[in-house]
Formats: sequence, C-alpha cells, structure tokens
Amino acid sequence: MRLISTMRKILLGGGVLLIAAAAAFYYFGLRKEPLPPRPDIPFAALEDTSLKDPDNPSRVFRVDFARVEHDVPLSHADLAKLTPANLKAMSQEEIDQIYARLKAGPIPDGVLRGDLFFERGEDGLRTRLAEILGGGLGKGADAKIAGLEKLGKGLWKGKRFYRDERVLRNVIEDFAPLKALIDDESRIEKIEIARTGLLSWISPRTTAWLLFPAKLYCGQSLLDGRRESIIIDYAYSHDLPGYMDRPDALAGRGGLAIRDEIRMVRPGFYLGRAYANRIFLLNFTVYDPEKMSDGLQAFLDGRAVEEDCWAGEPSEVAAQ
Amino acid sequence: MPRSSVNRRYRLQGFIGPILASMAVWIACLLLMTLAAHAQSSLSEGYAKEVAPLSSSERAGSEIWFNATAFNDRFFTYGFQQRLGGAIDWYGILAAEKKRDIFQAWGGIPDPDCCIPGDANCPAKSLAETYGFQYCPGDAALLSFIGKTGYRDPACDLKDAPVADKDQRQNACDLHFGTSTGILGLRKFPNPRFKKEAWLKLNGSLESWEGYRAALDIYPGDKQTKPNRLLDGSVEPPFRIGMACGGCHIGYKPGKPPLDANKPAWENIDGLVGNQYSRVSNLLGSGFGKHALEWQLIARARPGIVDTSALPMDYVSNPGTMNAIINFARRPLHEHDILKWRKADACAAGTSVDDCWCEPGKPGKCWQRSRKKELVPNILKGGEDSIGTEEAIQRVYFNIGSCSEQCWLNHIPDLRAADPKQRNYGQTPFDIGQCRRDCASFRAIEDRLPDLKAFFLSARPSDLWQARGLASPAALEAELDGTFFPGAVKRGRDIYAQQCASCHSSGKPPFDNTDFLATVPGDPTLRADWLGNDAVEPASEVGTYAGRAMHSNHMPSRVWEQYAAIDLRERPRDPARPEVMAGSGRGYDRNVSLLSAWAHAPFMHNNAIGPEICGKPADKAVDFYDQPYVDAAGKPLANPPACTPYDTSVAGRFALYVASMRDMLNPQSRIDKMHLLSDDIIIPIAPKLQNPELNERLGIEISLRVPKGYPALAINSLRFKDLIQDAVLQRTNEKKLDEKYAGILDAARLAELKSGLRRFILDAIVEDRPTVLDLVADRDKFVQSFYSNILDRVENRGHRFGETLSDQDKDALIAFVATL
Repeated sequence: MRLISTMRKILLGGGVLLIAAAAAFYYFGLRKEPLPPRPDIPFAALEDTSLKDPDNPSRVFRVDFARVEHDVPLSHADLAKLTPANLKAMSQEEIDQIYARLKAGPIPDGVLRGDLFFERGEDGLRTRLAEILGGGLGKGADAKIAGLEKLGKGLWKGKRFYRDERVLRNVIEDFAPLKALIDDESRIEKIEIARTGLLSWISPRTTAWLLFPAKLYCGQSLLDGRRESIIIDYAYSHDLPGYMDRPDALAGRGGLAIRDEIRMVRPGFYLGRAYANRIFLLNFTVYDPEKMSDGLQAFLDGRAVEEDCWAGEPSEVAAQ
Repeated sequence: MPRSSVNRRYRLQGFIGPILASMAVWIACLLLMTLAAHAQSSLSEGYAKEVAPLSSSERAGSEIWFNATAFNDRFFTYGFQQRLGGAIDWYGILAAEKKRDIFQAWGGIPDPDCCIPGDANCPAKSLAETYGFQYCPGDAALLSFIGKTGYRDPACDLKDAPVADKDQRQNACDLHFGTSTGILGLRKFPNPRFKKEAWLKLNGSLESWEGYRAALDIYPGDKQTKPNRLLDGSVEPPFRIGMACGGCHIGYKPGKPPLDANKPAWENIDGLVGNQYSRVSNLLGSGFGKHALEWQLIARARPGIVDTSALPMDYVSNPGTMNAIINFARRPLHEHDILKWRKADACAAGTSVDDCWCEPGKPGKCWQRSRKKELVPNILKGGEDSIGTEEAIQRVYFNIGSCSEQCWLNHIPDLRAADPKQRNYGQTPFDIGQCRRDCASFRAIEDRLPDLKAFFLSARPSDLWQARGLASPAALEAELDGTFFPGAVKRGRDIYAQQCASCHSSGKPPFDNTDFLATVPGDPTLRADWLGNDAVEPASEVGTYAGRAMHSNHMPSRVWEQYAAIDLRERPRDPARPEVMAGSGRGYDRNVSLLSAWAHAPFMHNNAIGPEICGKPADKAVDFYDQPYVDAAGKPLANPPACTPYDTSVAGRFALYVASMRDMLNPQSRIDKMHLLSDDIIIPIAPKLQNPELNERLGIEISLRVPKGYPALAINSLRFKDLIQDAVLQRTNEKKLDEKYAGILDAARLAELKSGLRRFILDAIVEDRPTVLDLVADRDKFVQSFYSNILDRVENRGHRFGETLSDQDKDALIAFVATL
C-alpha cells in the first residue's frame, strides 16, 4: 500500500496545480542527495529586471531566449563541460537557458540511460516548491522531492529508442511497484541492461522491462518555440505494437498524458523535460556513456552534427 | 531530408555513371520547367483582370495581401496544435465535397478558380490526386512535391514593383504563397514530411482523412470528450495550411455582389472590404467537438468578428469586426510619442543591435531605433496600434502566426504555467528588432510594406447610389425620401451634423455647412471626410460591451508593447471601469468611420447591435448559429427572434442596415444578447484517469464544473493564474499578497479578497475534496469580482446616442447615413 501511495504521489506531481502538489509532497520524508559542483558555463541574467507587470509586481520576467542565445551562445567546449550529474546543481532558469541553446540533434537509437531531477529554485539547492512554500513547510517539501527523485531513479532506468520505427519504450528495473497494475507480465518485452551502483560489481547486468511505449517525432517544444525538439509522446500510444492497457494507459491520453521532449547536449547525451497534461513536471537526462566518450573529440573539433528536426531559421538547410 | 538519404542518392548517381547522371539532371531541369511555379496573377485570369488597373506597386501589394502567409503554415500545422493545444479540422473545412458549405458554414469566400476533381474541365480527375481537396491553379507543381523537398513557391515569381536603386529586398520566396485551398486567403503547401504508406495505413485511401479526424473510442472517457488524432503530432498530413491576411479581409463587393454567394466570380471579390460573414473563431476551434471546453470558449463569436487577442492570450474576451479598409488616404492622423525602428543608412561602430542593425551583405540597409513625435493613424478598436500604418500592417502577419517560431511563440503564455517565476507565465514583449534579424519572412514582408500600403490606399468607399445603379447621389436621395418620407435625407443630414459629426466626421465643428459627401479635388472617388475622427474615448462613455476596450496586448510588458505609442500605452486606464487592475492604456474605444455604413451592418465592434445573421449550410453539423437572446435574468429566451440568413445583395445589405440602425437608435427595445454555455463544461485541474480501475487505484480528480447557461465570456476573461497565485500566497506569504495589491485595492477590498480566498480554499480544496468543484453562485461572485478582466455581460448594450429622437427623426438619420 505504501508503494501504491508513493506512485500516486509521483503521478500527482505532474498533474496537479501547485497547491495540490504542495499538499501531496508534504507527506514524504527522505534524505537529499549531495549536489555535484556546478560547471563553469555562461548564462544571461537570471531575471530581466527591465520589465515590470503593472498588474502583478510579484511576477518575475526572464531574459528572452533569442537574446540569451545572441548574447551568450554556448560553444561545444561549454557543452562538453555538462554532465548528467552536474546539471542537477543548477536552478530551473539555468536549465531552461541551457535547453534553449541546444538543438534537437539526431533522433537516438538504442538504449540510453536515464536520470531525473525536479525544478530547483534560484540558488540551485532548494526545490522551487520549497522556495514557494518557505519555512518549515518548504523544508519538508524539499526532503519529499529528494525522495521522489530517488524513488524515480530506482524505478526508471532510461529509454529504449527505436529510431527507424519512431517509437520508444521506457526501461523499468524495479518491477515491484508496478506488478499490481499489470495484467500479463509474460507479454512484457524484457531486455538486459548494464547495472549501475555497487551491485554491478557482483552482477554487471540485470533484466529490465520495456513499458510505456511512446511515439517519437520532431515537434514543438513547450518551452522554446525557436526550433524543434525530439518529442516523446505517450498520448496516442494505444496502437503501438506491444501496447498493454494496463499499465501503459497510465502515461497516455487516458491517464496522465505524459509528453517528453529532448534536445542534444552533445552526441550521446540529451537533456529532456517531462510534462503531464502539458504541465511541466521534471527535468531528465538520457545518455549513452560510450557514445558520449567516443564522440567527444569530434564534437570538440567542430564536426557537424546531424539534425533530424527543424533546427530553426539560421540553419534551416538542415530542416524539413 | 536526413543527410544520410541525400548521401545515398549521390552514391547511387555515381554508380550509374556520369552519363546517366547528366541525363537525370537534364530531365530534372525539364520537369522543373514544366512544373514551374507562377505567381497568382499569372495563374488566374480573373484575378489578373481585376488588378490590371492598379499600379505595379499596388498589384504587388494586392498579391501579397491575398496570398502571403509569411511562414505561418508551420504555425497552423504544428505550433497551434502542439504548443497552444488548438485543433483545426482542415479537411472538415476544405474538403472538395464540402465546397457548397464554404460560405454558408464558415463565411469563407470560395476561390472562383478552384474545382472539384472529376468535374468537367477540372484538371484533376480523382480526389486521390488532390488528397480530397479542391484542385486549384498551381497544384500541378505543388501536388508533385507532397512528401518531398524542393518545392518552388509561387511567391518566388512575384513580379515585384520596380525600385529606383539597387534591389535589396528579401527574396520574395520568403513570402510563402503556396496555392489556394479553395477558400481565398487560406493557402496550402506540400508537406515534405508526409509519408504515403503511413497515411494509407491510418486513413485507408489518399483522399480520406477519416482516420486522422474521426472521433476515437479507446478509453471510457472518449465517449464524452470525443478526441481525435488532430493533436497527434506523429501524423503528418499531406498539406500544411497557411493563412494570408486576406483570410479575414477578403469579402464581396457591396456594390457588385455575386448572384450566388456560393459561386462568386473575381469581379465580385474585394480584398480589403472585410469579411463580415467569416467565422474564423469556429475555424480555429473546428478540431474540437462542440462539448469541449476549447470550443465553448473560442467558437462563441458571431459572424464577421474574431478575437484577435485570443492567440496571444490576454484573457479578455473581445472579438471584433474586420474593418473595411477604404479611403485610407483621408484617415485622420494623430500626434504620438513613438519609439520605433526607422530606416538608416548606417550604424555607428559598436552600436548595440538593440539600437541599430544593418542587414549583412546589404550595404546601407539599416534600421535605427529612435523616439520621436510623429503623426500616425490610431489603429485597432481602441487606437492602441499606433506607431505607423506600415508597422500596423506588418503586425497583422504576426497575429496570424507568421514567424511564430522565430520570434513570437516564446512571448505568449502557457495556460498551464502557474508559477509567476516560470517562463511563459504571462506575455512578454515581442521584439521587432530580433524578429527582423531572425525571420526572413519578416524582412520579405517589411521590404514590401510600401506596396501593401499602396494597395490599401487604392480602396474606395462603396456608394449606395452606384450600387443601386443610379445616375447620381441626388437620385439616391429621391429614392430614400420615397422610402422614408419626403425630405428625410436633408433632415437626417442636419441631425447628423448636430448630434453625430462631433465623433463621426474628420472635419472640424461647426458642421452646419459641411458637405459630408465631398470628394478630394482631382480625385472624384476619394472622399474628403473620413466620417470619423478616430479619437479615442473612455469606453464607459460609449457604454458598449467593453471587452474590446479592455484588450491589454499593447500595454507595457505585454506582447504588442512595441507596437503602441508611448503616450497611448501609458495613458491612465478608464477610471470608471470596475475591474481589478492597475495597468495603463486600457479602456478606450475609437470613434469609427461611417463610410459606406449601409454595407457593413450589423453594428458596433462586435456586430452585436442589429439582427443576428446566419448561414444556412447543407450540412447541419457545421451550422454554427448560436442564438444569444436572453431575458432580464440572463436565461435564454423561449422564443428568440430568428436569425437573418446571409444576403450579400445590395437590397439584402440595405435591409440589414435599416434593421440594425433601428436597433441602435432604440436601445430600450433591444433584447439582451449573451452567449451562454450550451452544456456543462468540466475543466480538469488534477487529471482523472480514463481507465476506471486505474483511476480508482491511482487517480485523483479535481475539476471545476462550469454550469450550462453560464456566460461564455465570463470564463474567457478569467485571470485564473492570479487566483492560483493568491491562494498560495494567502496560505504561505500574506505579506507578498499585500504587496501585490498595494495601490490596486484599498484596505476594505483587500480584506474582502483575503476573506474570499480563505473561504474559497476551505470550501473548494478541503471540504469538497475529492470532488468536482461547482462554480456555484457565491463562489462565482467572489471569483468574478476580483479575477475577471471584464465584468460586462450583455454584448449589445450602450451607444444610446440618438435614442431621444422622434421616430421620424430616427428615420431621417437612417436615410442620410445610407448615403455616406
């Protein structure tokens, strides 16, 4: 029951407005992970103080993405400093500014490891929810969200991309919380993946389920409209091969209507955003450590990266 | 196309050998010559004949106005659906088999040059060739590029007006014409991402769109919500549809209407008169069922009006008419304090691109941002679009999605961003300089604004005496005196001079001897008097439904801030308005021109004063008439007046004019109009899982139910994000709540707000949870009082001027205004 309850809280996180989310998260209590050091890359100001909303002085304006990119473009060397781990040390505005300066890159193929992290406030240390709530309530929320991150990472290991079919399935390792939601386990496709953490010294590979199929296509970013992102869309997944109403409907149009989008940081490494019912839920990364390492020098040398999606007007030759 | 595919093709060519490759190049060239694109003027004999009398600049302007989409085909295929959550059923509107309902259902103006495949003389023989659409000029080339790259847009062959110096205009290809869809102003483009096999799998045949647009029945909730695949971004339709400015502004010539409004000829069509039958709002909501929230909110507009701020989302329900663009050479000018980009020869070294910018590779093509006092017209209903005619023309393109990805979408709110520190929480100012730099289509339009302006200036009023085929204005006066009473027109003229001209003349008082019909010396077609002073007045003085006046897109920090003169956007808001707000610039209406008023009824900015008009489509599923008449309690009338069927004839327009004038001059007899929700709508706050078992196990449902019969505009205009923020602040940081409303609410009102919020949170979140929150009367009263951007409800109130005239004097005024 506790696991079911936990799942419920995760699901709520995406679909509920802040008030409801605050109430839900309040009942969690797990320790926070230490944050890695921040990479040294340039950002525009985190607030645009030249703008004021006369009807709502508490509103915060951000620097327009076009200006961010014009004034502080990210070089390949800057992007090479980013890792799935150190992105977590940044505030949401910094993550947004990074995302907006990325292009979609090629649609990945194969299994990419995954990691996730929730929105953090101005200093990158507290969660945004904690910042909103403040005081003891905020501290509590901070701890609960850290717990959610840990729990999410335990369940979700990454994504399996089928580039040619334009389909994706999620890699789930910890089956226990989901068992009650599945009719026929024998129908679930399974794969062997590399294990991470201490257990990998004992058993380097483990079995994972491929659940929650989604469609892959180039489409509109819900954050930055200036160029396309790679969209991972669960809304119309019911006709994909291997779809099972239980549990796949949870992520689809009949459930939380999850929609992810990713852009490439550098070859083999993508930064993503997950939405539930079009409400921003969390950030995530998917990456292939081997490809990241193999492709790094060529990337630093300035070799062109393939673009499957419309890359915006300045480089629209790669579009269509 | 992925580069790997390109590489494979080149490798194949190498394998076949250089001779075959050369032959392939020649064959390709020959094919391109055969399928070469042509500009509209060479594709349509009828159109070419109509524009032949125009100058080369006016002709270019006309062609751009009718056809240029400036890159918005991607907006209406991807951005609108995926970013904004809108859904348009393009096939439901544009299918060849639905041609008979284009005008009656959608108010669209049928393209005289398009035909139904299979009909005699139609080059296309089957619907499969055109993917179910009509066949239009230029389609021989366009259809061959569906699913492929390399389409050469007909805009590339635009015959530009000559220029004196070196031609530095942006390539005309960036105007993006495509070809007609069958409705003038709606253009189609081949979708290079189209996959034939995937389409056939989904729809069964090339001409069918049923798998794409039909309602799905997968989950239990689908029976109620009737979703379809129009929001499935993985489906790439054969066409991307774009919209030209003409989509709203092309209409029928009042003086030369078609014999059959469903089958016009080019001689009946005018690009600038405004389409008073257009149902653009219904078009934009066509992908939703009528039960859907989105439909209830955006599709409740009467013919001829559209909420142009609906896409930028200012949360003010304010649909307005498409004004006739006529006699602009005599439009009054007003001095304003204007910060804008002006042409320059060069930029000083080291100047910021925010202050001065020269286009790379085009020496001397520079713009500098500067502040000056300038004489410009007041444009839009409140005069708020006020930095110059050319800029106002160009802004129209952004309002219809042009350059949306490059420079527009990031400035408009995400409806679901509820954190005021989050990006896309609210509007931010569109940056004209950035758009010029980053969007080629911006430059393609901007470089031809003088042509568009020249086209605008070519339009003239439609005089009733000519429309009736009479010899002179005097002959019309005699007819009108016969219709009303002897001497009616002269008596009406005197009343007009005494009671109307102070607003509805561009001359100066006294008006005793003013000839309101005078023409400019040397041009007998150009009227000297604009018949409106275009001055802006507080909306509370005019008294009409104030939604349009409360339009906020031009105020500081909002999306069109840079298109507003500084003095207008910073003028104090109308102090008589009761809504909670502080922002300046809002609450004004412009005194409009009454030129050709006989041809443009019903009246007011929302077409609400006068009879309701309606089309009579053969397919009742697209009959969008929504009777708005209510009783004093705001309940629908049991026996409302019938709507007046569209009648584009001269007699039909005149009859509608007379009925509308009587309605305007007799406000005590008007029946209130208020568009009401025709069904309960449920606004999901926390999601309900559609699988009942999963919902029971995992789901939670928090929804807001708005009851049937609720005024649609009360939902459209709700500042729900402020409500959410205030509810959080009330619980977590009351000091910030106090700061937010300092200077906006006095102590008593602030206390009322806090008490209301406490009640709202307690009742709605705690006591009823988990439940569906009903917007019952007491909650509604609190919410509307503090969080509605417009508290008016009756759409046809106000403008009571003239109500005290005698019945005979009212007839006299009606007779005289018909001559204007």
